Amino acid sequence: MANCHGNHEHGNCKTTGLCPIVTFPEVVNIDEIRDEIPEVKTFYLSFTNKDVEREFRIKSGQFIMCTVFGAGEFAVSLPPSPENDRFHISVRAVGKVTNALHALKPGDKLGVRGPFGNGFPFEDIKGKNIIYVAGGIGLIPLRSSIVHALQHREDFGRIILLYGARSSQDLMYQPDIREWQQNAGFETFITIDRPEEGWTGEVGYVNQLIEKAKVPVDNSVAFVCGPPVMFNSVIGEFLKRGMSEDAIISTLERLMKCGIGKCQHCAVGRTLVCTDGPVYTYRQIKTLGEQI
Amino acid sequence: MYILSSHEIKQLAQELQASHEVYGPQVDPQTQQVFFDQLTDVAALNLEAPIPSMPVKEILFPQMERILKYRYDSEAQSVTMSKQYFEKPKVLFGLRPCDLSGILVLDRFFLGQEFVDDVYLAHRRQCLLISNTCLNPFPQCFCVCTHSGPDADEGFDLDLTKLQDGYLVKVGSEKGQALADAHQWQLASPAQLSEQKAVVDHCIDLFPEMATDNKAWISRVMNRITTGFVKQETWEYIGDQCLECGACSFVCPTCSCFNIEDTQTACGECERLRMRDSCSFEGYARMAGDHNPRQPVEDRRNKRFFCKLSYPQSKKYLRPGCVGCGRCQWVCPGDIGLPNVVQYIRREITGGQN
Ligand SMILES: Cc1cc2nc3c(=O)[nH]c(=O)nc-3n(C[C@H](O)[C@H](O)[C@H](O)COP(=O)(O)OP(=O)(O)OC[C@H]3O[C@@H](n4cnc5c(N)ncnc54)[C@H](O)[C@@H]3O)c2cc1C
Ligand code: SF4
Ligand code: SF4
Ligand code: SF4
Ligand code: FES
Repeated sequence: MANCHGNHEHGNCKTTGLCPIVTFPEVVNIDEIRDEIPEVKTFYLSFTNKDVEREFRIKSGQFIMCTVFGAGEFAVSLPPSPENDRFHISVRAVGKVTNALHALKPGDKLGVRGPFGNGFPFEDIKGKNIIYVAGGIGLIPLRSSIVHALQHREDFGRIILLYGARSSQDLMYQPDIREWQQNAGFETFITIDRPEEGWTGEVGYVNQLIEKAKVPVDNSVAFVCGPPVMFNSVIGEFLKRGMSEDAIISTLERLMKCGIGKCQHCAVGRTLVCTDGPVYTYRQIKTLGEQI
Repeated sequence: MYILSSHEIKQLAQELQASHEVYGPQVDPQTQQVFFDQLTDVAALNLEAPIPSMPVKEILFPQMERILKYRYDSEAQSVTMSKQYFEKPKVLFGLRPCDLSGILVLDRFFLGQEFVDDVYLAHRRQCLLISNTCLNPFPQCFCVCTHSGPDADEGFDLDLTKLQDGYLVKVGSEKGQALADAHQWQLASPAQLSEQKAVVDHCIDLFPEMATDNKAWISRVMNRITTGFVKQETWEYIGDQCLECGACSFVCPTCSCFNIEDTQTACGECERLRMRDSCSFEGYARMAGDHNPRQPVEDRRNKRFFCKLSYPQSKKYLRPGCVGCGRCQWVCPGDIGLPNVVQYIRREITGGQN
């Protein structure tokens, strides 16, 4: 790959099994932009260098560092499945760089480094039930894993999604959700915080769906992503039901600058979120000794 | 091992100047301050100067460096990029062993882990390292406790020790050997080899007692930090004195935290800058939405000393993260340089005595 630093064998990176773009970004084109929910847009991307594109492969749960030229770089999850989805990112405009990104139009260019991070432990969870629990834009990092799991439906037991957002306007990936709801092999439970005209679905916080979905505790893993309050209440509920701390998996978010374990901005306890994470089990998170 | 006269040493520096930028210790005639800086005239090279106030990491990992230049044309939706590395090879002539060890720590950190830092690697490949045995330790030095001085035993291309007449030269790499072969330097005599040993032993004797009692002085503290037995009050006491000026990180030969920012210059060019940062700063870990998972100052202090002194960390770099130069002690306005921190924790262990 063009920007491979040549230290490990080409195409044989220790973390991903593939060679990531490490220090300097590769240029990607913005092919299409979709409004997702208020403040969040999804950007469909393709590499301008097709050799790079061929070698760029991801694992679900990984992230990239995305450069908005002139504004800076930020960490962003990879929602596409590792297999055959279009390459895209979904970004909430919260600050300097993400707002600059939102001002761009199709045809504009971005820079990409990565993919980085450990990814979800798919090998270890074959044969188990998977429970996805997402709050708000917490569905972004889980999407890749969901699509991947559905593509390998026979490898797993029940697959359940519990998803909550502030309002129906704030539900991410609605076309996907509609498709998932029609997929008989996939149980989806959606809730919004407050009642709304025309909303016939559940109302309340996402942790209330655990009871409703009759979530299996034995032989299950839970992937939980969302704001810290949601995270804490959901984890509490799972633990109360006797789920093991190793079976609860989440991604941590930290300020990231390098993505490769050098700048130390993402240090948590004795680990670095960019290289040891962003995927951690609840047991690990508990021993890191820092806030979520 | 070879023996070179003082004159030959200067000649070597002179000669290297043709193909390299030569850096070395020099004393400012007006202020008497010592700088490790580029030499325009090798006559200014002063191998007997005291430890420079800034570490030599400035050359390999500058306070601020431009790593990428690019131009984004939003009309044409096109981007051109060029990576920025320094062009001419450099010689670091007359490094203190502690500073050499500092480079080894940075090497293991930037090059020896999962990912390699391209920018550092490009700089590092072009450097020739010539270390220089310390003859007189300074009051803040404790390199004997951290295995990084007063003489060097690894990592150099050439290593010098000043003897009665001339410099004993050790070769530490192929690059160094090539220089020795090309010049057909004179071999040192057995007497000169034992003189070198005596010089180092004499220097070790000059260290204050705390530093010569080396095993206990620092390793008990390392043990304490690693096992998490340092009392919360002690960390708080240390944290309370920190003013968050960042000076300790900036003068430390082994501190490597950095930040990355893109800026636009007037002519429409953009630059990606990376600048040193300090994990003691309050905003260091602040994320979008103003969420800051690491607030209390003692957490941040704790982090820095853990990074310097814990075993898992030492195992990663195959040596402690602190090289005993004591610079953080000089600059800290809060009196919590590393030697003092060691002292505070020792007091906790020994119940009051040092
Ligand atoms: C592994 C990982 C995956 C991620 N995935 C996604 C994703 O898929 N989608 C997504 O939208 N986001 C994602 N994020 C978050 C994203 O990286 C951040 O939202 C982004 O970095 C914000 O950058 P910015 O420059 O726009 O914001 P900044 O300008 O840096 O600031 C963002 C906000 O932070 C606060 N802030 C920052 N600095 C200061 C300061 N000095 N003083 C006070 N307040 C301050 C302010 O509230 C500001 O509005 C992910 C993060 C990580 C680590
Ligand atoms: S710490 Fe050791 S090597 Fe460094 S200046 Fe002091 S005595 Fe010399
Ligand atoms: S922690 Fe202090 S004494 Fe140790 S290497 Fe850094 S500046 Fe020198
Ligand atoms: S030099 Fe002292 S006061 Fe300044 S950041 Fe370091 S420990 Fe804190
Ligand atoms: S982002 Fe730089 S160390 Fe993790």
